[in-house]
Amino acid sequence: MPESAAQTLAPDTPDTPAGRGLDRRRLLGRGAAVAAGVAGASAFGGLAAAPALAAGTTRSRLGTAPPRPSLGAPGVTSRSPYVTADQSRLLLRRAGYGVTAADLADVERLGHAGWVNWQLNPNAIPDTLAEQVVARMPELSWPIWQVNAAINNGTLNGWTQMTNTVLAQVVRAAWSKRQLLSVMEDFWSNHFNVTCPGDGVDANRADYANIIRANALGKFSTLLTAISTHPAMLTYLGNYTSTYQLPNENQGRELLELHTVGINAGYGEVGVQNSARILTGLSISSDSGEFLYEPWKHYAGRVTVLGFTDPNPTQTGGLGVAVRYLSYLAHHPDTATRIATKLATHFVSDNPPASLVAELAHTYLVADTDIATVLRQLFASPQFAESAGQKTLRPYEHLISVVRLLGLQPDTTGTNGPQAFVYQAADGGHQPLYWPEPDGYPDVTLNWASTGATLSRWNQTLSLTAGWYPNTLVRQPLATYLLGPHLPATHGQLIDTIALKLFGRTLTPTHSAALLSFVGAASTSPVTASSPAASWYLPYLTAVMLDSPYHLYS
Amino acid sequence: MTTTTDQPPGAGTCPECERATLQRPFTRRAMLKGLLAGTGAAAAGSTLVTMDTRVAYALDAGYAGDTLVVLSLRGGIDGLSLVAPVGDPDYATLRPSIAVPQAAAVALPGTTLFGLHPMMAPLLPMFTAGTFSAVHATGLPQPNRSHFSAMAEMEEATPGSVSRTGWLDRTLALHTSDGPFGAVQMGSTNMPTALVGPYPTLGMNSINSFTLSGTGNPSDRLRWGTALSTLFGEADPVTAGAANDTLAALNTAATLASTTYTPANGAVYPSGDLGDSLRDVVRLIKANVGIRVATIDLGNWDMHVGLGSVSNGWMHDKLIELSAGLLAFATDLGPLLNQTTLVTMSEFGRRAYENDSGGLDHGWGNVMLMVGGNLTPGVHGTWPTLSPATLQVSDGDVLATTDYRAVLADILYNRCGASSAAVQQVFPAFTGTTMGLTKPLA
Repeated sequence: MPESAAQTLAPDTPDTPAGRGLDRRRLLGRGAAVAAGVAGASAFGGLAAAPALAAGTTRSRLGTAPPRPSLGAPGVTSRSPYVTADQSRLLLRRAGYGVTAADLADVERLGHAGWVNWQLNPNAIPDTLAEQVVARMPELSWPIWQVNAAINNGTLNGWTQMTNTVLAQVVRAAWSKRQLLSVMEDFWSNHFNVTCPGDGVDANRADYANIIRANALGKFSTLLTAISTHPAMLTYLGNYTSTYQLPNENQGRELLELHTVGINAGYGEVGVQNSARILTGLSISSDSGEFLYEPWKHYAGRVTVLGFTDPNPTQTGGLGVAVRYLSYLAHHPDTATRIATKLATHFVSDNPPASLVAELAHTYLVADTDIATVLRQLFASPQFAESAGQKTLRPYEHLISVVRLLGLQPDTTGTNGPQAFVYQAADGGHQPLYWPEPDGYPDVTLNWASTGATLSRWNQTLSLTAGWYPNTLVRQPLATYLLGPHLPATHGQLIDTIALKLFGRTLTPTHSAALLSFVGAASTSPVTASSPAASWYLPYLTAVMLDSPYHLYS
Repeated sequence: MTTTTDQPPGAGTCPECERATLQRPFTRRAMLKGLLAGTGAAAAGSTLVTMDTRVAYALDAGYAGDTLVVLSLRGGIDGLSLVAPVGDPDYATLRPSIAVPQAAAVALPGTTLFGLHPMMAPLLPMFTAGTFSAVHATGLPQPNRSHFSAMAEMEEATPGSVSRTGWLDRTLALHTSDGPFGAVQMGSTNMPTALVGPYPTLGMNSINSFTLSGTGNPSDRLRWGTALSTLFGEADPVTAGAANDTLAALNTAATLASTTYTPANGAVYPSGDLGDSLRDVVRLIKANVGIRVATIDLGNWDMHVGLGSVSNGWMHDKLIELSAGLLAFATDLGPLLNQTTLVTMSEFGRRAYENDSGGLDHGWGNVMLMVGGNLTPGVHGTWPTLSPATLQVSDGDVLATTDYRAVLADILYNRCGASSAAVQQVFPAFTGTTMGLTKPLA
């Protein structure tokens, strides 16, 4: 990121304590404020005891945890006890942000292939609820020049514009009917990461999100060109400062390493240099903030990267060379494999079957990089159908899926609810769009199986089931929502009822027994309206169920 | 000033041979493992229980090095205000309104070139005693004056590689996990880049806030812990491990939080995030929970405008907090300081010359501070001078004459028991082990 932009961040960040604008982590952790303060000295049961508090200087290192698998181990050994064979739920948990009653009905009505096809044509899906909330932030749809001018004349706060960009994505994840589009928006936002909020992107980051959303299910070649020439990316990776005299290799390198062919494609440092030369001239108008090709910055002369070569004889012809180069990269077999691998890793398994990756990569090339075609094949594949439980929800995905599973609806006005989701996701280390590196958030279990993320997940879940924070969402009483108008007769049936509603299955006898013990009731003991498990303790029971692998595994 | 340079590995001795004996097989942990292994053998019918600690070691690499505390001074701290080169003839000229005046600087034994900022005077006794030292003119091999980019480069520390893990994650990966407190980010639940990677890390805002909602009394805690551990009972090892670690960590935190903590030896922590986080790290070290790496962030060093003077202003105020924090940390640890090394990092130093706003723009070379019980006393490094000729080479910055990785490698090699091969694993493309900043593990 450019130095000059970095220098101006602090004054533009009213959400941060004065002078701390560059201390990015200061922004986070606000969600933790909702956690109940608890002090005491009693052990949690059932597990290895906490390490003894040995006084003095003896430095014994008594372990408390079982040995972890070595790095890179698959980490999937026993997930079957928690998994449901319900393909509709699998589809909604992977191709969307989780199950809602209405979306489940859509899948049942349209059939799996029909639902996927419906999702792959998102503009035909009415999306009133989510768009009503997004429309509370009308500046998000403004073109860059308009945002730029408004920030410059003081009528629009650039920081708010960036945080609103995040909010819109969160709103759509939780409530859009275009669920697959929302997932793919997040997928490409990470693939083409431009940290938000971030240095120098206040005027263009909302438009960048709009561009990703508009192209998320189209041709990758189109998306790549739009991204690579977008002021947000040109700022984030510094290409707008790059000149033929002093090429800034940042974007030229990441274009190869992250955005397309990958590090092992064999382009070498000379390839990186040529890649950077090709991109010289792709810049930003200092007046409007919009994309501007500046021929005087462009390196003229033959350029060669992998199998691409161009005499590139003139400075004025540089943009055309860049567009041809981007198209070449988009259609490269290594790009096909890389995109196929990432999609299969996200949608199917941390260790996707090689056969599936090869099939998807082939389709990608045959379909002229059409993403929708690849996704259609992915969701129809037997590897997908057999993959239940092979993914683990990441903190933000877990959070939004709980929101959806509980039927929580948007605030009647404003965006307090989704703002709370952002803070809650941040507490788990997964604030949407906020990954600091160009490579996007990691997408496999191993990176998220931390103590901090686990505790955060548990605390945020109870906060949502109990309605503590956010407390402005529209919601039914939890008992009505989960148990319906007629109470289950016994506590055993009560747990079955909740499990069926949340997971589409009942629990193993051991786990049901653990929950009966948790609520202090026998399986056969009758449920009345005043039973704790059906009244004040219901949010706690629901939370502990959602904390379990039944929901964490996807 | 002691002048040291980065030593090539194996200069004089064979570091591998040397390191092979450094793993100290007689820790209690290894002893316990050995005993357990022996018990198993006995149960299997053997009449002869052989305790072989090398076998025990092979089961678990263990760890008996220092607790490494990395304090990240984010925003780009101005090293020339902290350990001021008052003896450099160009220093005062380059900074007409913000230099630390020679007369005001705290004189340091063994050097006339450097003096401490007056607000760091509380650290003078530690400097004299050798529990506080500094390395000057450290930095990235090439300047990077972008905050985030420099932070990422410094904390990934893998030039030319695509690992995208942090150097502390790779450090932690040298040993198997010692439980949930092996790596702790204190003061935030958001991980610094240095800790990014597969090794599990615990982020906590504070010990006392590390609680599970809904468990307001001991019986609730027991109920939740029992339910969750049963529900995770059939989960895969990674997922179950995270849940078990979390419950164990909650137990530990609850135990610690149940008693009011009184710092030892009259230590007084400064109020604010830094003091709170340093205090909680010390609590964890004292609690013996296996903390190997702790990270703490302290921001607000990006002083482009109005750095202030030695008697008031931005830098003055910040250094009061920093000095008080480091002093309290060392004082509170007492003898445990002998098993602790703290090092400061910052993404870059500042320009050698002040700007028109009484501040300093982004630069390059910088100071790294160290606190610990096994330091080599002094201000280390190779001073490049602030002469016009030097500044021409460095584009107006302090020329970084010591790769920042050399400082960290020294700590890993001498204080954390890392072999030269392990150091290379942490810092690929960097060659070096000790530059004499710390004493080898006893």
